[in-house]
Amino acid sequence: MKLQTSLRALYALAVAGCIVAASVSMDGCVFKRDPRIRLTIWHQDRIDVRIVLQRQLDRFMQLHPEVRVEQLFKETEELRSGFIIAALAGQGPEIVYGPSDQVGPFEMMHIILPLEDIFSKEWLALIDPRGLTWYKGHLYQVADKLGNHLTLVYNKKLVPVPPTTEEELVRIGKSLTADLNGDGKIDRYGLTWNYTEPFFFIPFMTGFGGWIMDDAGRPTLNSRGTVDGLKFIKRLRDVERIIPNEADYNVADILFKDGNAGMIINGDWSWAGYQNAGLDIGVAPLPKITTTGLWCAPMVSPKGFSLNSNISGEKKTWALELVRFLMSPENQMESARELFTMPTNLQVQQSDFVQQNDIMRNSRLQIDRGRPLPVVPELRAIWDAMRPSYQAVLAGTMTPEQAAEEMQALALRRIKEMNE
Amino acid sequence: MHNQTFRQRVFLYLLVAPAFIVLFGVVIYPFFYNIVLSLSNMNLRHIRDWRIVGFDQYIKVFTEPSQPDFYVVFLKTVIWTAVNLFFHVLLGVFLALVLNQKEIRGKAIFRAILVLPWAVPQLIVALTWRGMFNYEYGSINLMLTQWLGLPGVQWLRQPITAFIAVIITNVWLGFPFMMVIALGALQSIPHDLYEAADIDGASWYHKLRHITIPLIQPVMVPAITLGTIWTFNNLNIVWLVSNAGEPSDQTHLMVSFVYKAAFNFYRYGYGAALSMVIFFILLAFSLTFMKKSHATQNVYS
Amino acid sequence: MVRGKNTTSLRIAASYLVLGIFSLVALYPVWQIFNISLRPSDRLLSTSLEFLPAHASLRNYVALFTERPFFLWLLNSTFIAVTVTATGVVLASTCGYAFSRYSFIGKKFGLLSLLVTQMFPATMLLLPMYIMLVQLHLINSYLGIVIMYSATALPFCIWQMKGYYDTIPTSLEEAGMIDGCSQLQTFTRIILPLAAPALVITALFSFMAAWTEYVVAAQILQDTEMWTLPLGLKSFESNMGSEWGLYGAASVIVTIPVVVLFLSLSRWLVSGLTLGSVKG
Repeated sequence: MKLQTSLRALYALAVAGCIVAASVSMDGCVFKRDPRIRLTIWHQDRIDVRIVLQRQLDRFMQLHPEVRVEQLFKETEELRSGFIIAALAGQGPEIVYGPSDQVGPFEMMHIILPLEDIFSKEWLALIDPRGLTWYKGHLYQVADKLGNHLTLVYNKKLVPVPPTTEEELVRIGKSLTADLNGDGKIDRYGLTWNYTEPFFFIPFMTGFGGWIMDDAGRPTLNSRGTVDGLKFIKRLRDVERIIPNEADYNVADILFKDGNAGMIINGDWSWAGYQNAGLDIGVAPLPKITTTGLWCAPMVSPKGFSLNSNISGEKKTWALELVRFLMSPENQMESARELFTMPTNLQVQQSDFVQQNDIMRNSRLQIDRGRPLPVVPELRAIWDAMRPSYQAVLAGTMTPEQAAEEMQALALRRIKEMNE
Repeated sequence: MHNQTFRQRVFLYLLVAPAFIVLFGVVIYPFFYNIVLSLSNMNLRHIRDWRIVGFDQYIKVFTEPSQPDFYVVFLKTVIWTAVNLFFHVLLGVFLALVLNQKEIRGKAIFRAILVLPWAVPQLIVALTWRGMFNYEYGSINLMLTQWLGLPGVQWLRQPITAFIAVIITNVWLGFPFMMVIALGALQSIPHDLYEAADIDGASWYHKLRHITIPLIQPVMVPAITLGTIWTFNNLNIVWLVSNAGEPSDQTHLMVSFVYKAAFNFYRYGYGAALSMVIFFILLAFSLTFMKKSHATQNVYS
Repeated sequence: MVRGKNTTSLRIAASYLVLGIFSLVALYPVWQIFNISLRPSDRLLSTSLEFLPAHASLRNYVALFTERPFFLWLLNSTFIAVTVTATGVVLASTCGYAFSRYSFIGKKFGLLSLLVTQMFPATMLLLPMYIMLVQLHLINSYLGIVIMYSATALPFCIWQMKGYYDTIPTSLEEAGMIDGCSQLQTFTRIILPLAAPALVITALFSFMAAWTEYVVAAQILQDTEMWTLPLGLKSFESNMGSEWGLYGAASVIVTIPVVVLFLSLSRWLVSGLTLGSVKG
């Protein structure tokens, strides 16, 4: 019976709790009135970038006490779908920050503002043209950073001098790949990277003369570049055996961090993490393919600010002010020094740090050799079309020639479906 | 209780109304919005100026060539759901029966450990399982090769083993829930029924078949029905463990199509139509299953 | 009888073996997550079968509370989860009772419509749901999230309560009525205590629905001060630079309240207060 009594007490408590809690949440619903103007930025940056950004936002709020700015991290997919949903409902953050490929779909849906008449010509002239994303005759994004590019990252302890050609890469890779403890299994590889994602295949494709689309946005996947790039990766794995059998981003990352891989192909976002893990790393441009005479060229993308088309009046004025502030030479310099990101301000690009720091110099070299990320919404269809065939080649269930053909066919179909 | 008085009716509606007001308040609008959307051409090019086009999107769902094939994915989804539910219920009820024996000591500890897979955040656990299935470094292959001397399996490289890998992960995640339900359900069985059966010298199988299973059924059937619906639409685990469909987009469920249509290709009309198709499949299943199991009726009436 | 004793001890031994094996299987991946939380430099994976990672440290746990607003998330989540649990238990226990004991017009339809709410792929509901929440001014409101979560948890809870009430003979209520109890009294004094295991399941399920949910929370709670644990955890994850150490540590901490709740409630889940003892 005691149990019954306590149960009943519990139930009464639950009922009471229900009522109290409901009323409290009612209170929470009436939002604390903050007289300041509220601005929100959505972005997809990792923690060290967020810390620098927060410092800059704090300075902005100190300068302008009447404004409150909040940054909100969203994962790539979620930022995109979340912004579309919110903007269609007439809401959403005032500013959305990210790589330039989000401009395509956002423009099609008319959820971001054209910027060419909002910013002055003089101000725009201060920025590297690669940092200004134009689409269909309008400017939709102004970037404070250039990059998001893949490079060759190497462990200086294992690789004193980085390779500059694919043959050097193979040679160095072979000298590193070893079964150190003699159990018959290789436990140190020359090279590794995330080879489940087509994004990481692009440098091989371009090194052998291929590219994903022509100027009109039509896919050009069925090319020699695709076939030879795929063959080269297969050679690295199955003939030279300098890369692990199976590696996604996390596996490649851990191999490199633990010193079980001498080199990794990874982007500018990864450098700081490797340094924090205690590695003495070097950054080098990806090698040249001697047979074609072309450098392996990664995709390069500006990362910048777009404005929600739902904003107007005071909020719009302040949002513009904030973008100008964050794009200022001082703030770009700060980001470059702490995060090794490439500034877009032409004057900052000429600074001693950017010109002379070893990582920055090589990063810049790689950016200059890279190819800009296309802005068109069809890019999604191309990634999606490349993935299955690319993986099938690595699994040995498809030849490179078949894969190139399949990719092209699927990309065409996907694009047609998107645009019907 | 057939001839209800006015007071009884009031009591009855007071019991039912609050829950249904909350529920329908939330569900009705999105539901009808979706029906309208499924009949429209809303996509990247018609995001604001969409209009009703009839059953075009439904026709596309069934006839459009897709990669991977729509019907293959449908079949995989059915297999995924059935295998998962089978093991969730089997393991859940089995462990509940084992835990329910009065001779077992340390039940609280076992219960706490066995409920862990339900309690741990799913994202990191799914990625951990993905790591465990890695060919060279995953602990599953390391155990196979180092401890048992067996050859390693390229789990995530082949379609069938990758599918098995995602199922193993989800079985692991799902059995504690069914175990908890079954533990609760077992308490509703009067002890005297077992005692009477023991006096009759009934075998354990006889007791299981004729006492345990029929009497836990009223509590298990709702869990199984809803478990089926949730598993059918559970995108997360497959997506995370297979890294969005590896190898070569072979590891997908029907909901992956909805997700990709809406978020990758901005085909909202198509996504809504496909959602409706999934909805009708699950509705048909639930109706049949509930009819077979008499779930809407009271066992004692 | 001798044979009986032997088979009993055999059965017990086998039971311990089964429980031991399954406990290992349940523990191993969780142990891996614990290891992630101890590893320095955000290593999600390991390349060996190590029992504890090299250079293990509790730094991530400290960082969680000193460098991130983890405590705030914990508080927010607890508040929301407790409210949803209370709402779920009250509404499901009453509604399920009606579905079990009364026949009324629309009963079958009602039961089915509960299931129907679960059948739609969540992906497509996001847009209309967001529009609706904006119209109702429920963005950035705990009320909004409590309503959404209760609505998610209720269908299962109601069905489950109904299923459990079904196993309780109606003769008990009739006896109560004869003793002069009102309808409400028979329900709260006789039926509810007997349904304790089902109430526990309902409470656990409602709690988990609120404790782990991410997608709806991300839509409703835009203000970082209102964030819940799943939103906070998600902020440790970014495309190619996740803070796995913090994620692991947070996952371990998030798991503890659930296990504690389960342990403290399981007294009633497997309580001796079964139908047998009442009817016998």
